Amino acid sequence: MKEGFRQAMAWLHTWAGLIFGWLLFAIFLTGTLSYFKGEITHWMQPEVPAHAVDDARSVAVAQRYLEQHAPTAARWFIGLPDSRDPGLSVMWQDKIDPGRRGNFIEKMLDPVSGEQLQARETMGGEFFYRFHFQLQMPHPWGRWLSTIAAMVMFVALITGIITHKKIFKDFFTFRPRKGQRSWLDGHNAVGVLVLPFHLMITYSSLVIFMTMVMPASIIASYDGDTRAFFNELFPATDNAPALGQPGKLLPLAPLVEQARAQWDGGHVGRLAVNNPGDVNASVNVSRAGSDRVVHDFGSTVSFNGNTGQLLRVSAEQSLPMAIGGSFYGLHMGHFAGPLLRWLYFICGLAGTAMIGTGLVIWLGKRQLKHAKTGVMPFELRLVEVLNLASMSGLLIAIAVFFWANRLLPATFAERSDWEVQSFFIAWGLTLLHAMLRRCRRAWIEQLGLGAVLFMAVPLLNALTTSEHLGVSLAKGDWAMAGFDLTCLGSGLFLAWAAWKMQHRSAVQPRAERARPLTLKGEVH
Amino acid sequence: MKSKASLPLSYRLGVTSRLLAAVVGGYVLASLASVCLSFWLPLSRADAVVSGMLSSFVFYLLAVIWCFACRSAARAWFGVLVPCAILATLAGLAYWMGRP
Amino acid sequence: MLLALLLCYAGFVALCLSLDRHHGELLHSKPSPRRRLGLRVGGWLLLALSIWPAVHMAGWSRGLVDWCAVLMLSGLLLVLLLPYRPRLALILAGVGLLASPVAAFATL
Repeated sequence: MKEGFRQAMAWLHTWAGLIFGWLLFAIFLTGTLSYFKGEITHWMQPEVPAHAVDDARSVAVAQRYLEQHAPTAARWFIGLPDSRDPGLSVMWQDKIDPGRRGNFIEKMLDPVSGEQLQARETMGGEFFYRFHFQLQMPHPWGRWLSTIAAMVMFVALITGIITHKKIFKDFFTFRPRKGQRSWLDGHNAVGVLVLPFHLMITYSSLVIFMTMVMPASIIASYDGDTRAFFNELFPATDNAPALGQPGKLLPLAPLVEQARAQWDGGHVGRLAVNNPGDVNASVNVSRAGSDRVVHDFGSTVSFNGNTGQLLRVSAEQSLPMAIGGSFYGLHMGHFAGPLLRWLYFICGLAGTAMIGTGLVIWLGKRQLKHAKTGVMPFELRLVEVLNLASMSGLLIAIAVFFWANRLLPATFAERSDWEVQSFFIAWGLTLLHAMLRRCRRAWIEQLGLGAVLFMAVPLLNALTTSEHLGVSLAKGDWAMAGFDLTCLGSGLFLAWAAWKMQHRSAVQPRAERARPLTLKGEVH
Repeated sequence: MKSKASLPLSYRLGVTSRLLAAVVGGYVLASLASVCLSFWLPLSRADAVVSGMLSSFVFYLLAVIWCFACRSAARAWFGVLVPCAILATLAGLAYWMGRP
Repeated sequence: MLLALLLCYAGFVALCLSLDRHHGELLHSKPSPRRRLGLRVGGWLLLALSIWPAVHMAGWSRGLVDWCAVLMLSGLLLVLLLPYRPRLALILAGVGLLASPVAAFATL
C-alpha cells in the first residue's frame, strides 16, 4: 500500500470485485429480471386471463371470499390487482393466543368470479425477485449476505471511479477488436455511462435493509424498544385491539373510495382488516407504491370497520422518511411505465455486464502471464470455473426454470418446488461441466446450450400452450409476446457469443494477443 | 497483484489487519456515527434515527477507503479507532445530557 | 421523452467532438481552442436544456428520473455507434437537432 492512493484503490477495487463478483452478478441478473416479474409470472401461468381492473368489484369479491373462508381470522389482507399484475391476492392470519404469531395463509382469486384461481402453481417472477435479496437462504442470512454484497459493491464502485484516471477523457472511448483493451473499454463504458443508476441501485439496496444491518441508532435512541421505533414511523400499524364483542363488518368498497378521495384519485395497493369479526375492527387502506417515485410506506387511511368512521389519515412524510422513501421507490421502480421499465431493465443489464466484464478482465490479465508457461495455477483455474458457472451457468439455469414451467404437468402438486429445484440442479450441473471441460470448450458449449434453450422458448410455448406468439400478438397480450421475443433475442445473442468464441479459438493466437478474444456475456 | 512465487508473511498479515480494521472497525465507526447523528440532529427522534442510518454507509465507505489508502496497518487502526472514540464520547455526552 | 432524448444525444455528441481524439476520428482534424470551447459550452447547454421537456411532461420527481434514464441511454447509444458507425452517429445528432423543434411543438 505504499504505492500511492490510486494504486491502493485499484488493488481494493480488483479484489473486492473478484471475491464478491460472482455473487453480485447473480444478484444483478436476477434483480434485473425482477423488473418484469409480473410479466414473467404471467407467462408462467398462461391460464390466468388478463381482465380489466375494477377495484370495487375486486374488493367486494375478496371480502365475500374472506367472510366465507376466514371469518374468525385475526387479520385479513387484500392485495388488489393492477395493470401489470392481474392477480387478486387474499391472505389471512389465524387467530391464536395472545403473544404468539398465527399462521399466514395466502390465496390467489379470480377478480371476476371470486373463486380461487385455477392455475398451475408456480413462483413465477417472484422467484427471481426473492432470490436477488434472499439468495435462497434461510431468514435472515440471505438478506445479510446480499446487503454485505451491496456494501462491497459500493466500495467497488467508488474505488473504480477513483482508479479510472481518464474518466472524462475516455468517457466516449470504446475500441472493439483489441483484446484485453476492448474488454476494459467495455467495462468502463457500461460502468461510467450508467453510473447514476449503479450508484442509486447500490446505495438504495443498503437503505432498504438498513434497519436490519445498522440498528445501533434505533437501539440507542429507543433503549432497545424497536417496536416503539416502528410504531412512531408507521402509526398506521398501531391498531386498536379487539374488544371481544362480535360486530358486523361494513362493505369495504365504499371505504376504499373514501380513501382514494383523500389521495386525489391515487390508487389503492392493499387493504388490511384487523379483527374483522369484532366490533372494534379496523380497516387500513394503503396507497399503491406505483403512484409516486418517492415511496411513502405509511400512506394509509384508517377506518373503523363497523361504523365506517374515519380514524386516521397518515401525515405527510418528513424529509428523512422521504429520502428513505426515494431510495426505496427508485430501487423498486414500481412507478415506472412500460418505456421507463425497459430502460431500468437495460440499465440493470449494463450493471450485470459491468460485473461480468470485470470478472473476465481479472482472469484475462493473469492468464496472459501464464500463457507462456502453459500451466495454470490452481487459483486461476478456480476463478475460471467460477466465472463460467456464475455467468453462462446462471443463464442456463434461468432457461431451465422456464422450461420446467412448461414441461412439468400443471396439476402436479409440488411443481412450484420442482421448478426451483430444476433451476439449482441445472446450475450445479453447469458448475460440474465447467470443472470437467477445458475453458474455451466449456464456454462454447455452455453458451451454445443457453442459446438453444432460450431460442426454443417460443417454440416450447407454442407446443405446450395455446398462448403462442401468433395468438399473443393478435390479442395484444404484450407481456406474453414480449417474454417469448425477449427469450428469442437473448438466445440469438448467446448464439452470437458462442459463435464468436468458436471462431476466435480456431485462429492461432499470436504472442501479443496472447489470449484470443473471448467474447462472452452481456457486453455489447 | 503480482503473482510472485509467494508473498511475504508480513505483507499478508498487513493486509489481514487492514481488512479487519476496515470491515469490523468500519462497521463500529458507522454505527457510532449513526448513533451520534441520531442523538445530536435537531429532528424528531424517529427522523433523527432514520437520518443516522441513511448516512452511516458513507462513514463505512470512508473508513474502508482509509484503511487501504494509508501507509501502514497500524495507521489504519489508528485512523478508525480515534474517530470511534471521539464519536463515542459525543454520543455518550448527548445520552447523559438527555437523561435528567 | 423523445425531445429530451434528441437533446441529450446531441449534447453528448458535441461534448464528444470537443475531445481531441474523437474530433480527429470523426472530423479528421484537430479542433481549434475556440471550437473546442464552443462545442463544450454547446454540449453542456444541450444537456441542461434537455431537463426541461422531461420535467415539463411528468413533473419534477418522475421527470428527473426520466431525464436520468434518457441521459444514460443516449450516452450508451453514442458510445456503441462511435466505433462501428461513426458517420451515422454524427448524422443522428444533426437530424435530432433539426427535428427537435418539431418534437417540441408536437409534445408541448
